[in-house]
Amino acid sequence: MMRFISPRLRAPLWRALAGLVLAGAWAIGGGQGQWLAIVIAVVSLGYGVAWYVWAGQDTDEAALLGSRADERQKLVGQKARALAGIFALAGAYAGLVITLAVKRGDAWPFALMLLVTGLGYLFGLSSYASGEPDAENDADAGQQARSPVSS
Amino acid sequence: MRNRVREQRLQKEMSQAELAAALGVSRQTVISIETGRYLPSLPLAFKIARLFDLTVDKMFDPEEEPCA
Repeated sequence: MMRFISPRLRAPLWRALAGLVLAGAWAIGGGQGQWLAIVIAVVSLGYGVAWYVWAGQDTDEAALLGSRADERQKLVGQKARALAGIFALAGAYAGLVITLAVKRGDAWPFALMLLVTGLGYLFGLSSYASGEPDAENDADAGQQARSPVSS
Repeated sequence: MRNRVREQRLQKEMSQAELAAALGVSRQTVISIETGRYLPSLPLAFKIARLFDLTVDKMFDPEEEPCA
């Protein structure tokens, strides 16, 4: 289905959809302040439109937003995401420390965030750190063992 | 790392936008390569070199310190 949606439209569409789901969750939650669900929905749609408009500009940020980044721009995006991950980790740690000092019972969301970011990092290492150099050494070793020159 | 991208582009009377379109990258990336702020990947380096009928080592020169 994604192939039928233009790359520039994909990201803002997902963002707006995520916001609408959030608004729906708020509305289902009920209670006072249900009107906030409408505010969240309107802001989400506005966010999606703003994203789409900004993605049309001729800048690195716009290329990333519009899903048409080249290799250098993708690298910029990766670095920005890595930095965001570090900020999230630092924020979760600060939140955990403060909450433990003030009210221990509410600390679990921060502990969960720390755990998830930590596991995410380990998952990234296992996914992207390949064992290719070892495999090459093994191949060399095998070739050397088979070589008639080596005695 | 020194490169001859700007020199070759001007020799061919190409604009940065035209070169970017020919390489399939953004104008900002061409500017970054020309100013030496970004080292292109090997496939992109080959693409650049081929576009100007040069070899990669002619296009990109490592700035080596003179031997003492």
